Formats: sequence, structure tokens, C-alpha cells
Amino acid sequence: MARIAGVNIPTNKRVAISLRYIYGIGPKNAKDIIDHLGIPEERRVNQLTDEEVLRIRELIDREYRVEGDLRREEAMNKKRLMDMACYRGLRHRKGLPVRGQRTHTNARTRKGKAVAIAGKKKVTK
Amino acid sequence: MARSVWKGPFVDGYLLNKAEVSRASGRNEIIKIWSRRSTILPQFVGLTFGVYNGKKFIPVQVTENMVGHKFGEFSPTRTFNGHSADKKAKRG
Repeated sequence: MARIAGVNIPTNKRVAISLRYIYGIGPKNAKDIIDHLGIPEERRVNQLTDEEVLRIRELIDREYRVEGDLRREEAMNKKRLMDMACYRGLRHRKGLPVRGQRTHTNARTRKGKAVAIAGKKKVTK
Repeated sequence: MARSVWKGPFVDGYLLNKAEVSRASGRNEIIKIWSRRSTILPQFVGLTFGVYNGKKFIPVQVTENMVGHKFGEFSPTRTFNGHSADKKAKRG
């Protein structure tokens, strides 16, 4: 059991993989971290020494913005756009795609699950 | 792709004159502009522009964090008032 950057407890996987359970650390950052600390790729989290865990923790604290801080920053950016009432802000408010994608079809990630239109006539054969 | 830095921000030249004139006059009246494609520069902060959306001039009070955006972003060109429900189905 290793606790890094708050609540994350990745277990008996390779270090590079389990670091990715931290919000804000993806394949690239995870690789950078283990390379920087000289941890071999095939090492698993439960084989890490206490000292190595400590060094990972310190490195992440120092160099990376993860978890709560990152989420807060994202929310701030969104809020900035929304308060300015610019086009991107309006799209965020409405929960529609922000970067000019089509909304005639698709866009389900932003719009959420499809809702049936009230009172739409069903096609009968 | 982002614009090359060496080109500097894109602004229609006459906006600079308009802004200057309005600054000098001291009255804070709406400056009507059609140039939605122009970048908002730091010297526009505090002024109010009427940005044309194809129909009306939308008043835009320029604040500090608008700098770097385009005027057009603050003047929506489309109106959407929701879909109307099917009348027949409602009755039945």
C-alpha cells in the first residue's frame, strides 16, 4: 500500500502504470517520473522501498499539479470563460461542445445521455 | 493552429484610431464596430464597444481578462429559443 499525492492507493502493478491512477498523471508524466528517479520499469509498487516512495511523493509535490489543485485550476479556467460571457463560456454554461464540433448528431459526451423529446410523434408503418 | 507570434495580434487599424478618439473625448459612449475578427488589445480595456452580430450592436464592456480574445466571441450571432413541442401530440 502506497499513498502518493493524497488519496491514491495504487497496488501491485508496475509503478509507471499505477502512478496513472493519480488525477493529472498520464503515461507521459508517469514515465518521466520513473526515468527521473531511476526506477526500473518492471518494478512494482509493492517492491518499492520506503525511500523510493518518499522520493516519488516529493517529486510529484514539487513538479506536478495533481488531484485537487488541478481540478480547482480547471474549474477556475472554466469560470473565467463563463464570467466573461464569451462564446466558449456560453457553451460551457449550456453543456454543449466548446470547440466547434457538430451538435446535429453525436456530441453525447457533453450533452449526456439522449432524452426523448416530449410529444414527438412515433413513426408508424 | 495558433497564430505566429512574430506577426503580432491581428487588429483592424481603424479600431486603434476609434479607441483613441473615444479615450480623448472622455465620454464613455459605445463605439460601434463591425470588426469581429479583431483581437482585443490592452489599450481597449475600460471602453465599451458595440459589436455587430449581423443584426444589432451588442454592447461589450471590455475588461482585463478579455484581452487576447476576439470581439466576435462576445457577440453571439445565433439565437436559439428551444424546440417547440409537437402540437398534435400534446392534445392527444
